Amino acid sequence: MPEGVIIGGWGYVIAAYALTVAGLVLYALSLVRRRRRIHKKGRT
Amino acid sequence: MTKRLTWDGALGIAGVLLFLVGSYIGLFVAPAERHMGDVQRIMYVHLPSAWISMLCFTAAFGFAVASLWTSKPRWDRAMTGAIEVGVVLNALLLIQGMIWARPTWGVWWDWDVRLTTSLVMMLLFAGVLAFRAFIEDPERRAAWSAVAAIISFVDVPLVYFCVRWWRSIHQIQSTPSTVDPAMVLPLRINSFAVLFIAIWMIVQRARLEAESASGERVPEPSRLAPSEGAEHA
Repeated sequence: MPEGVIIGGWGYVIAAYALTVAGLVLYALSLVRRRRRIHKKGRT
Repeated sequence: MTKRLTWDGALGIAGVLLFLVGSYIGLFVAPAERHMGDVQRIMYVHLPSAWISMLCFTAAFGFAVASLWTSKPRWDRAMTGAIEVGVVLNALLLIQGMIWARPTWGVWWDWDVRLTTSLVMMLLFAGVLAFRAFIEDPERRAAWSAVAAIISFVDVPLVYFCVRWWRSIHQIQSTPSTVDPAMVLPLRINSFAVLFIAIWMIVQRARLEAESASGERVPEPSRLAPSEGAEHA
């Protein structure tokens, strides 16, 4: 087992969390938008 | 006008709140790992994404079997939702894995058996979604995409067990007995968070499928009665 510890690395952690949140939020928004578009289409 | 909160809406809100709590504990309370240091905190989003994406594909397999067995459209809708959400989580899983791999393995990507089977899993199920777009008849679409989903599911157990069956740079599955309890708590909270959010998304996607299907069944007036001369145009 190699000795030592990775120093720093918060940039990678922040990038992983930010991209995860962005991915989930964008997909959730796409669902809401697609459903709204269908509702709008149904009314016209 | 006030809208009543639906069960899936409540589950989605609970998922978001749990994700905030779990991520706070994972980022600021849980200890850093002995060798990887703070980089290991990626685990609190990476593992829930992996587990829930595989759970989505497993559910999609069950829905596909039910769809073929009963020919009821609701199973086809549920399958579509589970596959699409699974693909989104699978894509996030790969991105998180690449970000984690860079400081720990020294590379963004390696054609390792775990990484490759995970990529294949995403491509197979994304292929099922693309395949659906080419079939207009709803009954045929449901049957063929259910078969495609069942075939694609073959890769899911491979993703899970490959690290035990073959040599891999990726670590084998941890258990609560091999992980510090302070790390297990945020992992569990975020896993339930992603599960609740995924259920909300699957329900929304299934409803979207139902709503667009009801639009498919009603032909446009122009198609029912084409204007004179339109046929010759």
